[in-house]
Amino acid sequence: MAYEKKKAWSILLRLYHWAFALSIVALCITGFYIHDPWTNTVAEGSQSFVMTWMRFIHFVAGYVFTGAMLARIFLYIFGNKWERLPEQLPVTPRNIKNFFNTLLRYSYIKDDHDTDRLGHNVLAGMTYVAIIVAAVFQTISGFYLLFPEIGTWEVYGVMIFGSQQYARYIHHLLMWLFMIFAFIHLYLVIWNDIKEPEGLVSAIFTGVKFQHKT
Amino acid sequence: MADTANKTLDPRLNRRGFLKGCTMAAAALGLSETVVPKMVEAATSGQRPPVIWMHFQECTGCSETLLRGAHPDLANLILDIISLDYHETVMAAAGYQAEEALHDSMKKNRGKYIMVVEGSIPTKEDGIYCKVAGKTALDSLNEVAAGAAAIIAIGACATFGGVQAASPNPTGAVGVDKLITDKPIVNIAGCPPNPVNFLGTVLHFMTFNRFPALDQLKRPKFGYGRRIHDHCERRAHFDEGRFVEQFGDEFHQAGYCLYKVGCKGPETFANCPTARFNEMGVWPVSIGHGCIGCTEPAFWDTMTPFYERIPDVNIPGTGIIEDADRLGTQILGVTAAAVGIHAAVGIGKRLIKGKSGSDES
Ligand code: HEM
Ligand code: SF4
Ligand code: SF4
Repeated sequence: MAYEKKKAWSILLRLYHWAFALSIVALCITGFYIHDPWTNTVAEGSQSFVMTWMRFIHFVAGYVFTGAMLARIFLYIFGNKWERLPEQLPVTPRNIKNFFNTLLRYSYIKDDHDTDRLGHNVLAGMTYVAIIVAAVFQTISGFYLLFPEIGTWEVYGVMIFGSQQYARYIHHLLMWLFMIFAFIHLYLVIWNDIKEPEGLVSAIFTGVKFQHKT
Repeated sequence: MADTANKTLDPRLNRRGFLKGCTMAAAALGLSETVVPKMVEAATSGQRPPVIWMHFQECTGCSETLLRGAHPDLANLILDIISLDYHETVMAAAGYQAEEALHDSMKKNRGKYIMVVEGSIPTKEDGIYCKVAGKTALDSLNEVAAGAAAIIAIGACATFGGVQAASPNPTGAVGVDKLITDKPIVNIAGCPPNPVNFLGTVLHFMTFNRFPALDQLKRPKFGYGRRIHDHCERRAHFDEGRFVEQFGDEFHQAGYCLYKVGCKGPETFANCPTARFNEMGVWPVSIGHGCIGCTEPAFWDTMTPFYERIPDVNIPGTGIIEDADRLGTQILGVTAAAVGIHAAVGIGKRLIKGKSGSDES
């Protein structure tokens, strides 16, 4: 059977994806270090600024993460058909149908894959929206921790979190959300890649998915 | 100037002590020493602001710290520059006499007096959990606040509710600014706060006729504008990654950073590292114990366990209270097991049917 190549993801979406993914890896590792520094510099005056470096990497990665998140929000509004927000949520009969179809497919009850969409299935799309919402909170808490004395961050930080310590607590819990998400995400992407001919994994590099020629 | 000082002030307070107190307050406020004469003038003008000091749910620790400082000049100075018309634990009067003093002062100085509140106010069951002279704290607060020019909430309890407000907060205890919204309020946070911060605020009010600049939580910026961590003498150890692993270990003896034994300096705003306590240049971190974050809102709930970095996760309704990382690892483990089962079912199905998904159909 013949396949045709169809363009699904814009270059900005692919850049967003990898900036987001790599920054999350860096942020989780350095974040864990900041929370519980597992090294102990014994030699004093040894020019080893471990904590300083970890925090520096965390903040640089934090800016990359923030940039990526903003790019995704931009694409939710101005992206291509598959990238926009209404495509991700169960707000049309077509999307609601896809949502249930995906649930059945994931529980091995049904096998056929909806062919009327190139973008995410609705379950995945909804999860990604939730992750971007979590990213907004992660960013606000992060910047509030970074710039607690600067007016804007102080105002919103206190309004949303109440105190530095609470912001840190939420920041820490959200880290776990990102890690658990990343784990499930990786599994389901590979699962889909094996089951369907779309080429889900390569699509996030090339932007192209495969569909049956009709 | 000095002798003028002694005409209105307690003779036991000498010129040197008096100037020293004013200079300390000016330094804490971050003002230049050129304002010291102005402060002295205000403090010796003889117009001592009338103060009504209310005690609600509290331990009087805040009054104790103010009055029993190792530095008697500071306490004298505070008592001398204000006219303390009513203070339940310090005043000689009792019973009806005390009540009369309160009402006299409220009537005579209406709209002019400063109200100081120490202790939280219970709000559940119409506030019956704290009563003085037959009136609930809630009623007394509203009554006295109505005639006040300004309110100073002193201590963790009056500012953010303190230990009484710790979860599950059985009496519905709250701080003053949750109840009074139409008066200028300053929160002198801390359990107990450094007397210098109270004195600085009062002197600022007397000298400039307004409160000093406040942060989002109504704490004066001169005392609470900066995190402990950003001014801590152990910060170099933090940056270079040298930590105390356990109290009493070799790293503790070497004076390393207390971050790993739960120091809350990174999330607490206060001037303890610069103002210090007891005129002996000490503060918790300098003597080897981490900061417990007593100047922050809800510190009993968010800064505990005191020897851990962040609070435990409490899942309501389940009774589960667990360390965040242990819980996270458990959830990740359950997720991994679920993923394993899901994959196994997929493989099993494929083996039975001898056919993969929809790709070749
Ligand atoms: C997926 C994204 C992120 C993860 C997983 C993450 C993780 C963490 C963790 C685990 C901590 C330690 C908190 C603790 O003590 O328990 C931390 C601290 C911190 N994070 Fe993030 N973070 C993320 C994004 C950001 C962003 C976007 C910023 C903004 C620049 C940021 C700024 C900070 C700051 C300022 C601290 C406190 C460091 C310190 O001064 O000690 N983080 N982060
Ligand atoms: S703030 Fe602390 S020291 Fe002050 S009265 Fe309350 S419990 Fe006591
Ligand atoms: S002892 Fe506490 S306040 Fe000082 S550097 Fe370490 S963590 Fe920061």
